[in-house]
Amino acid sequence: MIKIRGHRTGLSMLFLTTILMGTGFSSSLHAGESNSLKNLSPEKVADFIHAIVEADRQVYTTHIVKRMQEQGVVMAREDWENKNAIPLPAQFLHISSKLVAESGHGIRFRLISLWPIYRRNGPATDFERKALEQLSLNSDTPKRGIVSTGKKRLFQAIYADKAINDTCTTCHNSHPLSPKRDFRKGDLMGAIVITIPLED
Amino acid sequence: MDNPEPTPAKRKKGLTKKLVLSMLLVGALPLIIGLLLAFYQGTQEIREVNGSSFEALATETARKLDLVMADEIARTALLTTDIQIIEKLEHTRDALSELTTQELALTLKQEQEAWNTKDADILQRILKGPFAEVLQKHVGGTFIDPGHPIPVITRSATRGLYITDHAGRVVASLDSDIPYLHREEAWWKGAFHNGVGQPYIGQIAFDSPRGVYTFTLALPIMDSLRYEAIGVLHRIYDAKEFFAPSIDIIRFGKTGHVMLIDSRGVVLSCPILPTGTTISDTSLIPLVTPLHAGWTPAPSDGHGGTAASIIGFAPLSNTNPITQISTGQTWHMFVWQSSGEVFAPIEHFFKWTAAFGLLGVILLVTLGYIAANRISAPIRRLQEAAQQIGRGEYREPLTLSTGDEIEELADEVNRMNQQLASQFAGLESQVELKTQEVKYLEESTIKILDNVPDPVLMIGPDEHIEYLNKASKEAFAVTNGEIIGTPLFQIFSLDPATQNRLKQEMHAVQVLEPPYSDNTNTKPSNTSLQDPLVPTNWAQSSANRQEIRINQRTFRYRWFGVQARPGRGPSAGLVLRDTTEESILQDRVIQGEKLASLGVLSAGIGHELNNPLVGVIGLGEAIQEETNPEQIKEYARGIVQHGKRMASVVRDFTGQSGKNLTEGQTLINLNELLEQSLTTVKDLFPSVPVDIQTHLGPIPSIQGKALELGQVFTNIITNAFQAMQQGGKLDISTETSGHDLEIRIKDTGPGIAATHLPRVFDPFFTTRGQGEGSGLGLTVAYRIINKLGGHIRMESEEKQGTTCLITLPVSNAHLAKERSTVS
Repeated sequence: MIKIRGHRTGLSMLFLTTILMGTGFSSSLHAGESNSLKNLSPEKVADFIHAIVEADRQVYTTHIVKRMQEQGVVMAREDWENKNAIPLPAQFLHISSKLVAESGHGIRFRLISLWPIYRRNGPATDFERKALEQLSLNSDTPKRGIVSTGKKRLFQAIYADKAINDTCTTCHNSHPLSPKRDFRKGDLMGAIVITIPLED
Repeated sequence: MDNPEPTPAKRKKGLTKKLVLSMLLVGALPLIIGLLLAFYQGTQEIREVNGSSFEALATETARKLDLVMADEIARTALLTTDIQIIEKLEHTRDALSELTTQELALTLKQEQEAWNTKDADILQRILKGPFAEVLQKHVGGTFIDPGHPIPVITRSATRGLYITDHAGRVVASLDSDIPYLHREEAWWKGAFHNGVGQPYIGQIAFDSPRGVYTFTLALPIMDSLRYEAIGVLHRIYDAKEFFAPSIDIIRFGKTGHVMLIDSRGVVLSCPILPTGTTISDTSLIPLVTPLHAGWTPAPSDGHGGTAASIIGFAPLSNTNPITQISTGQTWHMFVWQSSGEVFAPIEHFFKWTAAFGLLGVILLVTLGYIAANRISAPIRRLQEAAQQIGRGEYREPLTLSTGDEIEELADEVNRMNQQLASQFAGLESQVELKTQEVKYLEESTIKILDNVPDPVLMIGPDEHIEYLNKASKEAFAVTNGEIIGTPLFQIFSLDPATQNRLKQEMHAVQVLEPPYSDNTNTKPSNTSLQDPLVPTNWAQSSANRQEIRINQRTFRYRWFGVQARPGRGPSAGLVLRDTTEESILQDRVIQGEKLASLGVLSAGIGHELNNPLVGVIGLGEAIQEETNPEQIKEYARGIVQHGKRMASVVRDFTGQSGKNLTEGQTLINLNELLEQSLTTVKDLFPSVPVDIQTHLGPIPSIQGKALELGQVFTNIITNAFQAMQQGGKLDISTETSGHDLEIRIKDTGPGIAATHLPRVFDPFFTTRGQGEGSGLGLTVAYRIINKLGGHIRMESEEKQGTTCLITLPVSNAHLAKERSTVS
């Protein structure tokens, strides 16, 4: 159960409303707001967010980056800021993740991997590491759990992140800092971690 | 034609000069242009090469610094993952979250005061606690990560290292020379980033307590889940010491080096400029701080020099996103070398090529001069030959063996020389002949003129004497040598008025002359040119006769124009004739004629008066002897009649009628008067068988004296009757013709001889015998008609008869009418 914290209630409501509207749940929310909120589990919220994040990245990857590159308009590359290029899909996710974090709603999402190009994108906790290992065996079921930092408790849901097209595998297989260079399309490359704060 | 022709010497130099100049133009100009182009191209290429090198160096150095910075961030970030620190900060965060705002503020204030007062407990906790120990180990190089040993440089450049917690309090530090609370510091806010956490690199600034320029690196310390920031690790570096080992060692040439500046133009590190200063020419900043690598020609070097230079630049691509998000500034590498050094090779090249070029030009001029002389020398010889031929001097054939067109030209000149020589021979003989002819003509002309008895002079346009013949010299008592060239009026001593007249006449003649022309088709006007020696009837042209008196002698003169010689003004000729003797003779002749006329007149008068006088004397004698009174009376009447006749003769002769023009004038019907006169004369010649016809038209009356006009008509009709003694036909007619009345009296007599016709109106001229006519009849008639404004004319042909035509003006008739109306 989610209990929205004190002064952030209004903003959190707005964020959730935006997400739910985007996923077609607005009518049920409006129909019975209080009951729906009580029944809205963090698992579901995490699923919603994951669906949106995945969709957004898919749209960016397929309909923007791929088309742009095919038509020779602009390339997507890691040092995009200095080279008149656009961000890689993974960077797109990082940037949107940072913007969501800066918005102050407490919800975070990020990419992690057992074979990260940059060490900061490795698993931060044992929970994350185990989740990655399990997902490599069964990627269909996300791993969920409640974690804590000090006294602060948070809900985490970890979703498998697969190589959806050749661009992903090519980049990771050729990057000089990449520890694994034999990715193929469809392989599990890592996971998306969605963290939602819980209040007692 | 007006241009002065260049002298041969000038021409000679001109050809050589032109040839040398042409060679210079053909040889040196491309050389100079080539040199300039090479210099330009060389400069461009050196610029390109240097620029590209500088850009590459800047890019490489920027990449290196990026790696240094990335490495430094990564090493420092190790501290932020220390699990002990994270747990401690999580704990601190949780503890703070349980405090109210007031409690928190009070706690912070107390702790800050304790820190400021160097409270031993708090100093102990922060400077000597377990975390401080971690920091010291890290800086000391004994950190736990063996794969990432801390470089000595980094350690020595560190001027401060401390950890702050969720509230911005210092939790651990290497030293105590820092404030306690940092929540409001830009670096803290930047790195904490509202709990999101992000790296922060501060801009370079002067750190007063440490006395150096420093920059800050602040990294967030995330909780164990990397969910949110729970503290900030803060590290202060001495900028110069940190960057110098990477930058200052890069030197090339004497002045080439790299430097690190930020986007404000502030120097972070430079081997020449001190850290913290701004580059001297701020206009360079936008040129060298774009977010891409490149090179640019710059108006100055940024180090105080104003010479144009080349600058390579490159941003720190990996570091700049952090500095950009932290402070809005970016960092850039700047590679520079002094322009003198950059362009030294091309200047060196240019000096040498210029020296070689100059040598080339000197050689070109020298060889060109020799070559030009080789060409111009035979041309000069040809020119001299042509000049000699031109002067008509035959010369020896020219021998030139150049084996080219000049030699052919020399052959042509030789041929021309031979042809001209042969033609000149014929021409010379012709010229000689013509000269002789001209000489002959001149001499003969002078001889002719000298034999002319009249003085002939030629006067130039300036009124100076050009020629005078022998007669002139004699007439004016001068010699040829004295007079030629002297002004005309120096020998003609004349009054100014006459001089002016002569000058005008002379100039008129001169102007009339057409200018001399070579065109022989232009014939001089016949009217203006005449032979001055053609005998002239001086007497007949007495109306235009012009005379001057010189030295008490009278001369008649005439001007004539003379064609001007080429290049000279027109001359005038003057022919004079000494008429002094002639004038005297003529005066005598006139005097003699006058006396002769007087004799004829006296004889005539005597004759006319003699007959009546004889009658008077005879009648007087008869009276003396006569006793019969009646007979005496008869004789006395005869005397009276003879006396009247003599009085009439005297009156006619003296011409009394001229004294009173209008006195006694009446209106006269001419037709009536004619008939009266005809009747009178018919009675005088009753036996003469004359067929008389009159055609008297309607004519107006005129004003005049009936007696006088009657005498006119009577005299004329009497003459006609006398002419027709053997019979004939007399025709008298009157008519109006225009403004005149015409009276025509025509007889069929023997006519008047042509030699007599001009003299019929002369007094006492008669063809009849002595006593038959006075010779005054027509004279009187002429005078009367003339007095009335009319004319009388005799027309006659021998054996054909004579017609007397009298015209009187009708205005006289009108006048008469008006007068009669007024009266």
